[in-house]
Amino acid sequence: MDKNFQEEFTQIIKFQPPLYKQRHQFVKDLVEKYKPKKVADLGCADCSLLWMLKFCSCIEVLAGLDICANVMKEKMHTLSPLPVDYLQPSERSLTVTLHHGSVAHKDPCMLGFDLVTCIELIEHLEESELKKFPEVVFGFMAPSIVVISTPNSEFNPLLPGVLLYRHPDHKFEWSQAEFQSWALETARCYNYSVEFTGVGHPPTGMEKVGFCTQIGVFVRKYPQTGESLQSEKPTEAVYKTVFKAVYPSLKDEKYLQNAVISEVMFTAQIIKHRLMSKHKEYSDDPERKSKFQLSMNCFSDYLGKLVVEKNMEPFVSGNEVYVPLTTIFSFPKVNRLCGTFEKLCKLIAGKVTLSSDGSAVMFNTEHENEEN
Amino acid sequence: TIGLQVSSGLQDLSLRDRGGRRRDFHDLGVNTRQAMVHVQESKTGFSGKMIKLTTNHFRLTSRPQWALYQYHVGYSPEMEARRLRSALLFQHEETIGKTHAFDGCILFLPKKLESKVTELFSRTRNGEDVKITVTLTNELPPTSPTCLQFYNIIFRRLLKMLNLQQIGRNYYNPSDPVSIPNHRLMVWLGFTSSILQYEENIMLCADVSHKVLRGETVLDTMHSLYSQVGEERFRDTCAKELIGLIVLTKYNNRTYRIDDIDWDNNPKGTFRKSDGSEMSFVEYYKKQYNIEISDWMQPVLISQMKRRRGNIQGSVALIPELCSLTGLTEKMRSDFNMMKDLAIHTRLPPEQRQRELGRLLTYIQKDDNVQKELRNWGLSFDYKSVSFTGRVVQGEKIFQSGTMFDYNPQFADWTKETRGVPLIRAVPMDSWLLIYTRRNHDVANTLLQSLFKVTPSMGIHMNKPNMIEVDDRTESYLRVLQQRITPDTNIVVCILSSSRKDKYDAIKKYLCTDCPIPSQCVLARTLSKPQTIMTVATKIALQMNCKMGGELWSVEIPLKQVMIVGIDCYHDTVAGKQSIAGFVASLNQAMTRWFSRCVVQSRGQELVDGIKACLQTALRNWSKWNKCLPSRIFVYRDGVGDGQLNTLVNYEVPQFLDCLKSIGTDYSPRLTVIVVKKRVGARFFAEIGGGLRNPPPGTVVDTVVTRPEWYDFFVVSQTVKNGCVAPTHYNVIYDTSQLKPDHVQRLTYKLCHMYYNWSGIIRVPAPCQYAHKLAFLVGQSIHREPNLMLSDRLYYL
Repeated sequence: MDKNFQEEFTQIIKFQPPLYKQRHQFVKDLVEKYKPKKVADLGCADCSLLWMLKFCSCIEVLAGLDICANVMKEKMHTLSPLPVDYLQPSERSLTVTLHHGSVAHKDPCMLGFDLVTCIELIEHLEESELKKFPEVVFGFMAPSIVVISTPNSEFNPLLPGVLLYRHPDHKFEWSQAEFQSWALETARCYNYSVEFTGVGHPPTGMEKVGFCTQIGVFVRKYPQTGESLQSEKPTEAVYKTVFKAVYPSLKDEKYLQNAVISEVMFTAQIIKHRLMSKHKEYSDDPERKSKFQLSMNCFSDYLGKLVVEKNMEPFVSGNEVYVPLTTIFSFPKVNRLCGTFEKLCKLIAGKVTLSSDGSAVMFNTEHENEEN
Repeated sequence: TIGLQVSSGLQDLSLRDRGGRRRDFHDLGVNTRQAMVHVQESKTGFSGKMIKLTTNHFRLTSRPQWALYQYHVGYSPEMEARRLRSALLFQHEETIGKTHAFDGCILFLPKKLESKVTELFSRTRNGEDVKITVTLTNELPPTSPTCLQFYNIIFRRLLKMLNLQQIGRNYYNPSDPVSIPNHRLMVWLGFTSSILQYEENIMLCADVSHKVLRGETVLDTMHSLYSQVGEERFRDTCAKELIGLIVLTKYNNRTYRIDDIDWDNNPKGTFRKSDGSEMSFVEYYKKQYNIEISDWMQPVLISQMKRRRGNIQGSVALIPELCSLTGLTEKMRSDFNMMKDLAIHTRLPPEQRQRELGRLLTYIQKDDNVQKELRNWGLSFDYKSVSFTGRVVQGEKIFQSGTMFDYNPQFADWTKETRGVPLIRAVPMDSWLLIYTRRNHDVANTLLQSLFKVTPSMGIHMNKPNMIEVDDRTESYLRVLQQRITPDTNIVVCILSSSRKDKYDAIKKYLCTDCPIPSQCVLARTLSKPQTIMTVATKIALQMNCKMGGELWSVEIPLKQVMIVGIDCYHDTVAGKQSIAGFVASLNQAMTRWFSRCVVQSRGQELVDGIKACLQTALRNWSKWNKCLPSRIFVYRDGVGDGQLNTLVNYEVPQFLDCLKSIGTDYSPRLTVIVVKKRVGARFFAEIGGGLRNPPPGTVVDTVVTRPEWYDFFVVSQTVKNGCVAPTHYNVIYDTSQLKPDHVQRLTYKLCHMYYNWSGIIRVPAPCQYAHKLAFLVGQSIHREPNLMLSDRLYYL
């Protein structure tokens, strides 16, 4: 089911941007509008839609399902976290899972989704599968929104070289009327509302033909299914998980702690650095002095906007420098990460060298200037 | 014969070399040994004690009668798109099989199809019938170079299957990072791997690799640089700190090298997309990756693409906010505390290193998918590393003014043994300058008193210097130098109060070019500790003596009339992409005096022309010193990158020969050219008392893990306090010396004893280290060839 490519092959000439991109953009716009947290793509093929959706910051769970494991595996690594995701874990959590299985079968892993997309999927289904499809998607999964796209056969005469169907694997291609009657019936049956639209405008003068790709957007009319209702639908797991990636996130204590320690140490170092350079200013090094007369007006607000109260001043005592935690906590980045001062203390406990009363980060400067 | 190059398509199929061309990093197919008759039979030495060694190589085994089948795949009518070609071909998976590698043109299979030519028929979705002709073009034996490249591709596939992340050339495990918050660093453990034909077996050489990553973006770094240096020096500092660094982008798994910073551009600026339309960066990242760029005033980073598909040269613009830094800057490397903190995590002792490697192999062994892939290709690994016997050659005797010393082989150091012994040649310091700032007045006096204490036993005659106090400004130092240096001045000593590079550079530049006088710069801080001052003063006295043309010690060199040459390169990443080749050649029998020159060239030029000129002057100088020309010349060539061996063999060596010919028709000395490589993947461990230790200095390996097509060997010459010792690889690419391999090995090891800035054994032959020092000084501080008046002294130490 190499559908993106197949269409690109002949229609890239006709549609700008290519039709598959327009379909993806359509889904993306829908995500922007409804901000779903859990999204599943049925018939995810080479995962290109999922890849695009992983950048949408509202999504926390992404799942893909396809009948062909090989086509998923080919590009599934593009769904793995990138090195930078580990370096700068994001605020949101994100789990991406790929399942191998059929939309004609129910599997509990597909429950609880907000949005389910079926882009160019139904025309690949055998009659028996198509029959079970509404019950699985609308009856069992029952997400708030379902998007279904499929070719509009009325458009086919306008496409060069299309004899019967646009793709040899297509089992059928529907006219606008055929699709709409199927969709309306399905919506009625499962208590959804449906609106029709599409991508790929027909040429001027031929508007009656309709969009090249017809799309139905189904919205569930009844409120969120309760847990009780779902537990009434006990089913066995039938899908095989072929891929799972859990993105590093600050919601995970481990990553949060790392981020906080790193930020605390870094901030403390900056404060220490400034303190020490103030000490040095009294020396006879004329080049040094000008260097630290900082003008903070443009570009950087990194250290600025900071009101240092009397009891928050860092100080030097012998070979030790103390940077109070309250000072560090007043830095926006640290503050945002921890939320509360208590949380800050809890996260760094045992990981950062503190003064005996635990109120300040302590540095020993004795071996600072050692050289190799 | 078998083609060397895997087609560019197959490279894509595997893992394209990020951000640039794919080179043959292993110098496959450069067969230099065949031209050297005297090592056809054997290239192994014999001297020394046997030692049992383990290494980080693992045998790769294939089924008996294993071969890789290479097919050409043609389409009629011709199909352009690669994806379509693949799709059409793999409609016939039942014929071809599930295991395959296909680049759109060449197909590799682990099994042979029934007939030599197979015709398959597919239909496109447009109903067009396509005939696919699959023709067997090659049966590749396991040892063919194509096959080796293929193994490497497959192995990288395996690492990917293990969910390791590719950064640059290697693979790293992101799930268990070590963070070093003090320096905002993160260290990922990973692996380097290469599969090659070694002496008797095809083996996987795997090593533990650490990737240092930084938890900040380039924009963060710019902010902190701004707060450190202020507006005036901000752009310069950014250029110095950032250009040359490798960055990772937030949105894809690519690495880029920062080549320039475009201060006139910003994220609002536009670029031309491949379809010809213009788009702003802000818009692009929002659309493509849903990323909002928060700072619209930041400049844009420029990365040059070396070569893309179809030889298109071009540059990529990157947004600092979306780039994370990797690796260490020069400045970080010189931060002793940072390196100390890093070393704890990255310098793994032998046992631990092997343990980490063992973990990788366990992953490979335990992962079903990986095992399946290997099985499908008919390949497997020995999960136990290769063991063999190496030799430890005997230690050298150190001669100094008629006295002979042995050193403790365990430490490979003779500092203690030679303390207080007269030097071979002590140059008197009759007239010299000592320059310091007022604040360092006391320090200067301490240094002077200490020097007076340590120099007499060395045999150095020292007068009171001309002590001059200056302001701590670069101009003050330079003015004093201009006014106070006389023709009699032996050496200038400057005490600097900070490690500010510009001051050091200015002093060195003046004293190496305009006014050629040896100079010694000392950081005041180094002299501030009373408990170490005598040691420091001793080192400084020795170093100064060498800079003035003195000689410290020697080892026995049995060969007569021999000139040893060392060459190393320095590549300047900042100032105009200069490259500098340091060239050092011995002047006397004892190898205690060295002539030096260097070649400064800008990007795109070849170093070799300059090196030829250097060799000519070196020969002239040698004949001046020895009243004849050398009958043997050894060139130790360092600074050769992976994949450059071919150039060296075909271009540089003929130039050496040309140069020798040009000296005179009756002059035909014996020439040996040895490529020295410090960065090698091989590690050796001595099996001592049931555990693994670093092998002792003098360990020579010339079997099992060397390459059959080369006359090569490894020497472990130095010792390390922490971590694993890295062997140095020597590859004799040209040799008319008729010397036995054992003698070449011994000579090489002897030369590792002759570096005067370290009274111990070093990693490379002394001339290489001298050449490195020279190239570094010129590249970092001087930027042009130093005055030839200094060329017979080690002024660059």
